Amino acid sequence: MAELHIIGQIVGASGFPQNSLFCKWGIHTGGAWRLLSGLKEGQTQVDIPQTGDMAYWSHPIDLHYTTKGLQGWPKLHLQVWHQDSLGHSQLFGYGFCHVPSSPGQHHISCVTWRPLGSWQEQLTQMFVGGGPQLRNPDLIYSGADRYRLHTAAMGTVELELGVIMKHFDKHGVET
Amino acid sequence: VVMATNNPSVFLLMVNGQIEGANFPGYDNLYCKYCFVYGHDWAPTTGLEEGITQITSKSTQSSHKLIWNFPLEATFKSANPSGWPQLVVSVYGPDVFGNDVVRGYGATHVPFTPGRHTRTIPMFVPEPTWRLQKFTGWLMGRRPEYTDPKVVAHGEGREATRVRSQGFVTVSFHITTKDMKKMGYDVGSPSSANAPSATSNWSTEEQS
Repeated sequence: MAELHIIGQIVGASGFPQNSLFCKWGIHTGGAWRLLSGLKEGQTQVDIPQTGDMAYWSHPIDLHYTTKGLQGWPKLHLQVWHQDSLGHSQLFGYGFCHVPSSPGQHHISCVTWRPLGSWQEQLTQMFVGGGPQLRNPDLIYSGADRYRLHTAAMGTVELELGVIMKHFDKHGVET
Repeated sequence: VVMATNNPSVFLLMVNGQIEGANFPGYDNLYCKYCFVYGHDWAPTTGLEEGITQITSKSTQSSHKLIWNFPLEATFKSANPSGWPQLVVSVYGPDVFGNDVVRGYGATHVPFTPGRHTRTIPMFVPEPTWRLQKFTGWLMGRRPEYTDPKVVAHGEGREATRVRSQGFVTVSFHITTKDMKKMGYDVGSPSSANAPSATSNWSTEEQS
């Protein structure tokens, strides 16, 4: 059995149409992995930055996994949402990234995208807000049915992901 | 004096560093409180877990530099990286009435690779939820504050909260660890080429 510690933060996000943002996140692993401690999903605060484009969440992540195999290596998936002054929330982007498979402290910039509806829906969206969302959030980190989607680029989420590994070398794994 | 063993049951994390200063465009005459927050597998062995800096003012030359140059020295022990220590900082300053109010909370994990690291910590304040709260708060010189700043180190229960990020605190760390490798942990390569390597004859002194 090998062990993996993920210690870091969801730092914040920038490059979105509005900067009053929060993030829903989760970590997905395959069947060989077992979570020993820590929360594998969560939701950040809503940050309304005083100056600048970047919203800061500093959301801590501290997870301890054991695993019997390399398949299903942990993936972090994100949804960035905008919240207005009235408390209404609107989806701004989806993104995912693998937890790094080498030990050390990593800075990761995770790109995001949003689904586009038909041209009629896009027109309505300009006036009324809202917009299409994925019915199945698995699509955020899976490639299986992606070809059905038409998406647009959105901003970037900054992550600090620290990885500590134990006993991977004993099983012959080179990282 | 604890001699090095071949089968250690704990590893040590030694933190040296300083709270260098801050960047808060809107505010001056600030001081900073810090504390270390860690999980239940961890215990401090030497040094100070918490402290308060001096009050500092912006320099006349460089209009946004606030400098504390405040030392951080602490050593921790643990059998498990879970609950890795975080440095929690909170910055306070006077409002127009002269009352001390919070100007920002922030937190960062203590780095785990041996060597030199700098962290720029974004600082935020909780936002009042109602416009009326905002106005009476301004009138009375009161802002929402956390009763215990340590909550900033935890991720649970943040869903309903609104915050305003409005500054940064800069911290530098020099990190040394002992026996992490012996206990089987791989933390990646040290961050600087001159990082000291722990020898097997190195002994650590534990006071109290």
